Amino acid sequence: MAVAMQVELLGIPRQRAGVAELEIEAATLGQLLDALAARYPSLADLFRAGRADRLGPFVAANLNGDRFVTDPRTRLAATDRILILSADAGG
Amino acid sequence: MPPGYHGCYLRIDVSDGSADHVPLPAGVLRRFLGGAGLGAWLLSRESGACPDPLAAGAPLIFVFSPLVGSPLTTSAKFAVVSRSPLTDRINDSLASSGFALAGKRCGCDAIVVVGRAARLSVLVIDDGRVRLDPGGHLRGATCGAAEKTLRTRLGPDYKIASIGPAGERLVRYATISHDGRHAGRGGSGTVLGSKNLKAVAVRGTRYSTWAHPRELTERSRQLSKRSFGPATAKYRELGTAANLLTFNRFGALPTRNFQTGTFDAAAQVSAEEIRATRTRTRASCAACTIGCEHIYSIEDGEGTRLEYESLFALGPLCGVGDPDAVLRASKLCDELGIDTISVGGTIAFAMECVERGWLDEPWLTFGRGESVLRAIELAGRREGIGHLLAEGSRRAAGAIGHDSIRFAPQVKGLEIPGYEPRALQTMALGFAVGTRGADHNRSGAYEVDFSAAVDRRRVTVDAVRHAIDTEDRAALMDSLILCKFLRGVFDDFYGEAAEMLNLVTGWDTSAAELRRAAKGIVHAKREFNRRVGWTPAEDTLPERFLQGALPNDPAAALSRERLRAVVDEYHRQRGCEEPSPAADNASA
Ligand code: SF4
Repeated sequence: MAVAMQVELLGIPRQRAGVAELEIEAATLGQLLDALAARYPSLADLFRAGRADRLGPFVAANLNGDRFVTDPRTRLAATDRILILSADAGG
Repeated sequence: MPPGYHGCYLRIDVSDGSADHVPLPAGVLRRFLGGAGLGAWLLSRESGACPDPLAAGAPLIFVFSPLVGSPLTTSAKFAVVSRSPLTDRINDSLASSGFALAGKRCGCDAIVVVGRAARLSVLVIDDGRVRLDPGGHLRGATCGAAEKTLRTRLGPDYKIASIGPAGERLVRYATISHDGRHAGRGGSGTVLGSKNLKAVAVRGTRYSTWAHPRELTERSRQLSKRSFGPATAKYRELGTAANLLTFNRFGALPTRNFQTGTFDAAAQVSAEEIRATRTRTRASCAACTIGCEHIYSIEDGEGTRLEYESLFALGPLCGVGDPDAVLRASKLCDELGIDTISVGGTIAFAMECVERGWLDEPWLTFGRGESVLRAIELAGRREGIGHLLAEGSRRAAGAIGHDSIRFAPQVKGLEIPGYEPRALQTMALGFAVGTRGADHNRSGAYEVDFSAAVDRRRVTVDAVRHAIDTEDRAALMDSLILCKFLRGVFDDFYGEAAEMLNLVTGWDTSAAELRRAAKGIVHAKREFNRRVGWTPAEDTLPERFLQGALPNDPAAALSRERLRAVVDEYHRQRGCEEPSPAADNASA
């Protein structure tokens, strides 16, 4: 079931969306990225699909600043803060 | 000789102006390729028993690569290789553009400079012919001014690499500058200065050939097209400065000499804020389709390039949240010809010593942009306290005493880049074992920390193979040479690299052979270090990082034992079998 949760955007996702933080309803990480891309179409190419069990190569997702997750089927909880950033942090 | 190469290097002794073309065996080129790899081989061959990086006999080597001059995007690069006056170990720094193209057209794959000119001079290489021009009139000139003056005098087809006042005064982290970009780390400019050379000017007409020109052109076109895509969006849209807010969010932004991993004023000095409030233009190295350089206007003058490493080192690391001060400081470093990371790290270290009452320079305090500017000026000109700052944080700690080496932000003497080791522990390993010291260019271990492969705040031996992979990949990129900002466009980096190399050289190299070559290049650097005195005890971090967690992130703690375990495993996997005292001796 979809729940509302806080999402933080960093780097290029933030720059393109023009917001740092927002609330999104989603049950899984994949749904969350779909919802973000629908709301901010300029993010769509960053979120281009990887495999069914793996995010595409250009985006990284982190739960609560602690754990990076790569499986779009990862279930999300209302208490999660999801950080979305471009995959090439550093450099 | 394979296409893509000239098959020789030009060896110049500036003591007497003599020059020889020395053949390069084809087997060496195939194993060491070019750039940092061939440079490591040449450094070993040319160093002899020379004990001092600044001695006349010590070589300074400019190395090109088989891809230089090809239509492959980002390939117009050169490496500068020497023993570092900062670390005493191998140093290889990279820069870009016309100097690489014109230098290779001189008809050689590398230029080895030894000796010391009798007076300040300019080394001029015209299509392989060598002369020394007087350089006294350039004494004290900034990098940009020296380059401009020489271009006017010699003509626009000469490409010039120069040092600024810092290189002349042997500041230990002086850069070599070309077209506004710097071979920045480890003191390449100091070595050039020690040879009494203000600049090297090159031009040439000897184009190397390509084995399969039509296919290479088509391959280059495809690569350029991919370089416009999402894999390089960060570099095109915000530049590396985009890292700052991300790192701050993860508690990985070194602040106030690594006393903490978050900076209250991060938003003020972020790329996003600077971009929103200043005029910006973009630029790129020659033959690059990405264009990662973002040049921002400054109130009282021409704009300046801003990269993450300069931003973190001259901003948060010194507690400075004033974007104008950071931009001006970055520009000042470019003019003086000094490495922003090393000068920022050394100033931040000195600020902490002032705070502790160990250094009597009350003006040098965290948070004051004007203090950073003044300290850079003094360091770059070796005036007053600048004599101490010009030595780098490790030597400064030795002079200050109080066991301040515990928090001098360096590994092997090279100041640590903008990645907090306690919050990014695979990177901590990469820093500890780096052949040129703490280094984010020769180890991309931070990529592993920003992935699901590891727990970034609890490194285990499982991380070692990942760290080795990133080091090997960087060694290959730095030897081909291709820009690392291209790395995200490759689905199969080694396979594609082999294909590109074969189109240039006509070889039949494979991904597996290039993997072996990459390991061989890292091994060659480690062997050079071993020859000049490296011991496993050097592969460690300062005590600060091994004693407790970051103040606002209790999970970000790296114990001495954990670092020792991963360093030992690294040595085992790399084949350096000596048991490591690793973290036991942080000041070693
Ligand atoms: S991406 Fe940037 S550093 Fe790399 S070649 Fe292009 S302009 Fe130069």
